[in-house]
Amino acid sequence: MIDIKLIEECQGGNFDNFRKLVELTSPFAYSIAFRMLGEEDQAKDIVQETMVTIWQKIRKIKSAGGYKTWIYRIVVNKCYDHLRKKKRHPEYAVDEQTWALISNIISEGPSAELENRETSQIISLLTNRLSPKQKAVFILSEIEEMSGDEISEITGMHKSVIKANLHYARKNISEMIEKYL
Amino acid sequence: MKPESEKYNKVLEILRKSKPLLNSTEDIENKVVARISRIPGSEITLTGIIDFMFGWVYIGWVRRSMIAASMVLVMVFIYQQSVVLKRINYLNRQIVIIEGETTTTPADEIERRIMIYKLSGRILPSNRLIISEKQLDQLLESVTELQGKYKDLLNLIQEDPELKNYIEKKLKETDHTGIKL
Repeated sequence: MIDIKLIEECQGGNFDNFRKLVELTSPFAYSIAFRMLGEEDQAKDIVQETMVTIWQKIRKIKSAGGYKTWIYRIVVNKCYDHLRKKKRHPEYAVDEQTWALISNIISEGPSAELENRETSQIISLLTNRLSPKQKAVFILSEIEEMSGDEISEITGMHKSVIKANLHYARKNISEMIEKYL
Repeated sequence: MKPESEKYNKVLEILRKSKPLLNSTEDIENKVVARISRIPGSEITLTGIIDFMFGWVYIGWVRRSMIAASMVLVMVFIYQQSVVLKRINYLNRQIVIIEGETTTTPADEIERRIMIYKLSGRILPSNRLIISEKQLDQLLESVTELQGKYKDLLNLIQEDPELKNYIEKKLKETDHTGIKL
């Protein structure tokens, strides 16, 4: 949990306190960036850029409550921009190895836990055909388990747009699972 | 529940449980601190100015409101332009264009034009005269009124022989012999 005192101290320009803030904020920023991008190095780059943006705009923060949503907004927007650039060169190939991995994990049951590399493989495979917008909505709604209001606040999309994108993403991924699993 | 939906839910459940882990935040902390310590004050100020001017675009409801406001302004502009055009067309219709060479004009209209030509002291260009209908009516009204008064004056002079003799004498003195009473 981020303390408002820590934020206030960072607003004073203290690097040591900001280091502490980076330590507390980076894990969940990384988690969402990794899930959205599916690549460790890129996710770390996004976290770095996010932290620099936070440093530049930290004076705007008035309460600790909105801090997490604000971080999400910055991370999601940066990932979204990254995905949009990446989308210009889409590559898709049926990855039988990953489908076999998913099959094994399902057979292991709900206790199965994935390594970062496996999570990345599965998310990349499932969301490969989705547009950046659909992918962002799918990750936030289905994996991060956020409500429509929260997603709307983070992405700036209207609720109806979120619903439509989520519907398409679910349909697309269900079809893929049905076809290959 | 369909088997593919079950598989879909199982995959999602596993993905939700497997939160991507950031092994060490130290590397990110160092890189972030190195980057922010290189940022000169002027850049921060510039970012601040840009944020102050365009920061509103990141707020969904403000962005939507601005779009709505701009659309309203465009609509108002279009409406205003159409009103102005209508008014111009109306005023255009109010103008009577008299062509000197027109032959299809009705007889009373020609008479009116001849009268105007005479009234203007025969100095109007013979080919074109532009006057509004309202002005034309006012002019004709005052000419008719003037003619009536002139007739009344003549009647008065005819009824009084002394006055008639006096006026004739005065007209001779001032060399206005052309005027007949």
